[in-house]
Amino acid sequence: MLKWLRQLDAILRGDATRTSALKSGRIETPVAGVLVLTVMLAGLYGACVGSYAIIRTAWSDDGVTHDAFMQLLASTLKFPLLFGLTLLITFPSLYVFNAIVGSRLTVLSVARLLISMIAVMMAVLASLGPILVFFSASTTSYPFMKVLNVVMASIAGFLGLAFLLRTLGRLVVAQRPAPLPIDPPQSEASDQQATPAPDQRSALDAFHVGTDQKAALVFRIWVVVFSIVGAQMSWVLRPFIGSPDMPFTWFRQRQGNFFLDVAQAAGNLLGL
Amino acid sequence: MKAMLYTDDVLRARAELTLSTDHARWLLRIVLQIILFGSIYGAAMGAFGGARPLQILYSAIKVPLLLTATFAISLPSFFVVSTLLGLRNDFAASTRAIVTTQAGLSAVLCSFAPFTLLWYASVESYQAAILFNLLLFAASSLTAQHLLCNFYRPLIRSNPRHRLLMWIWLTLYGFVGVQMAWVLRPFIGHPGTPTTFFRAEAWGNAYIELIHTVLNLVSG
Repeated sequence: MLKWLRQLDAILRGDATRTSALKSGRIETPVAGVLVLTVMLAGLYGACVGSYAIIRTAWSDDGVTHDAFMQLLASTLKFPLLFGLTLLITFPSLYVFNAIVGSRLTVLSVARLLISMIAVMMAVLASLGPILVFFSASTTSYPFMKVLNVVMASIAGFLGLAFLLRTLGRLVVAQRPAPLPIDPPQSEASDQQATPAPDQRSALDAFHVGTDQKAALVFRIWVVVFSIVGAQMSWVLRPFIGSPDMPFTWFRQRQGNFFLDVAQAAGNLLGL
Repeated sequence: MKAMLYTDDVLRARAELTLSTDHARWLLRIVLQIILFGSIYGAAMGAFGGARPLQILYSAIKVPLLLTATFAISLPSFFVVSTLLGLRNDFAASTRAIVTTQAGLSAVLCSFAPFTLLWYASVESYQAAILFNLLLFAASSLTAQHLLCNFYRPLIRSNPRHRLLMWIWLTLYGFVGVQMAWVLRPFIGHPGTPTTFFRAEAWGNAYIELIHTVLNLVSG
């Protein structure tokens, strides 16, 4: 367990994806343990989301209902499912197109890369958990909780996807025989925006050297696809928070879509 | 006297504060400062509308609670984001900077306490009392932000990305802090109502209230 935490930490710090670690053009981070941790972190965040139902009913006169416990359980189980299924749906096409454009990434490397990405997302998401629980405890507004959840998931998703694209850029660089040293432009701006020395580089740092255009394009498109699939998957798997007006169900009727509902919740908050 | 000198160091944002390695002593002093100064201001805040010892006591507890609880809730995200930005090796230093800033914030608040009392002595309106305290909180927060920038200067010099991290922290802390302050109401307490630690209908959402207030203003 401690070893897994250390591996996750290496991914977050960017140690696992440094240029020197990617020399072979493969990603060799062991991810089995990280995967277990990621599932646990996703479950933890899911529990934070489900806490809304528990806390809301705890304040009411009837006390915590059976439905609330079921919602907590459902959210805890659904969050790992959400990210697992999204990955499962988008992975095959990513690998196929990745191979078509002639990237040297093996299927195992792609899998490891994506697991690392999900690990980054879940670590960020879980760290936002306490804030979410605090708002669950003090807010009765259901639309607000929806919007807050979407914002938090977007933050985590954005950071995870940024991590993915940066690592890819680095992978291409690492495979080049000898990168030419580039003279930094002698301007005032370069003083402030000085690129940190290599050992200071983080997991989110870009390499501003030309990247393998085609593979990069495939991954960029994939990032968009992943976001849309993830959003819609969260819609299919709903309810995560549990509407105060509806009895507990594992899943709801198939109708509407994610974007419409979020827009509605935001409008609701703004009194439209 | 020595404690006073230490406060002076905080207000002058001396670099030694964030760089020294005597963690235990530093933490003890900072926490004592937050509790002491925070509760002095809280006590002043609760003194509205005549002597209500219970309200004064509650408010004195709430102000340090507001600062520490907000900090505790926001810290995990700060930790993960600073790791992602590659600033983990400086995590101890940056945490010291943000914690020390809170001691500075409570010292600034404390120095405003006499104004609050004078204001209470001169106005009768409960709304005016609330407004004045909001103003003082805003002024202290701005001052504290200035302190934070000073504490962060050596960090930013060593790695410019600390600037981004600092703004992320301020956003997080502000977002949680506003709601925390809302939840912990009443800080002043309406003189006409019985004194309670929490307000019966207190739980709610500061941001939703804000939106409603603005909408009401706009729609007349």
